[in-house]
Amino acid sequence: MERGLIALGAALAIAVAAGAAAIGIGIASGKAFEASARQPEISGKIQATLLTAIVFIEATAIYALVVSLLLVFAF
Amino acid sequence: MQMNNWQRFWQALKDNLLQEMKIGDIGEEIRHAIIPQTVATVQIGDFELVLTNAVTMSWIGMAVMFLIGWWLGHRPRLIPATIRQQLAETLMDLLIRLCRSSHMNEEQTEQVVPFIGTVGLFIMLTNLLSLFKIPPPAKNPAFPIAMALLTIVYIIVQSIRFVGLRGFFASLVYPKAMLLPFKLLDYVIKPLSLSLRLFGNVFGAFILMEFVYLILPVFLPGIVGIWFDLADGILQAVIFTYLTATYIGEVLESAEMSKQARQQKKSMQAASV
Repeated sequence: MERGLIALGAALAIAVAAGAAAIGIGIASGKAFEASARQPEISGKIQATLLTAIVFIEATAIYALVVSLLLVFAF
Repeated sequence: MQMNNWQRFWQALKDNLLQEMKIGDIGEEIRHAIIPQTVATVQIGDFELVLTNAVTMSWIGMAVMFLIGWWLGHRPRLIPATIRQQLAETLMDLLIRLCRSSHMNEEQTEQVVPFIGTVGLFIMLTNLLSLFKIPPPAKNPAFPIAMALLTIVYIIVQSIRFVGLRGFFASLVYPKAMLLPFKLLDYVIKPLSLSLRLFGNVFGAFILMEFVYLILPVFLPGIVGIWFDLADGILQAVIFTYLTATYIGEVLESAEMSKQARQQKKSMQAASV
């Protein structure tokens, strides 16, 4: 019963975090596309900013991955 | 045959490297990938020093960095005539532009660039070891935590050296004194986020590549590995460097704005008297 609950907790953590991160990256990419269409000449800077933002959003999902791994392997 | 310590260490290192190349049963493979592998144990008096994978691979990374650093930097000419010197100058230019855009003037940039260049290049080289199916040191949680602690201590000490102790405390209370607990909490969160970002990305990428090697060792690792080994490794090192410079710049910026606000208040008081 306890192992089952631990597994459920780990799966729930990473599922919610991955979904939230995907939504966040989708919103950021949409805004980047819009901005790039409005001003194509600074498209390079927009791409660089988008990549930086994606790394930060992804890092938040990876904090949840670390918690999930900690649950599975240390409890 | 009686092997002395050096030969025993060498044998353990070779065994370890050979063991990495074999592919066995799935559960055992994954467990082998996750748990830090001990290469050797060194007894120093009462204290037992455990050398894991991460330590020996860091040594390999250090050796490669010495070679690259010597190759890039020896015998520079005033007018660059070789591609080697142009490459070195491009790298230095990137780092200098990063520091300049983080509110640092010339002499501060000169002090900061060597450190962040070294740390960034070291993390990048050790991440790229995973291209050769060698477990990168950042997969062991100790390595990113050590790098993050080193970096946060460096950030605090350098920013105190740049703006003085008074400027540092002024930057902590800059817009409103109510923000003090949040800024102090920030100094606890920054090393956590730096280390967990690097650890999580490299560890997750390594586990995923292990799965890919188990599924189809022939073409799939090359395709998937372009993002997970190559791009992710380089990107995480670049982000680490960029964030270090940004954090130093934040303290400098707050201290500068606080000094300007204080001078404005003083001049307004002097004008109203």
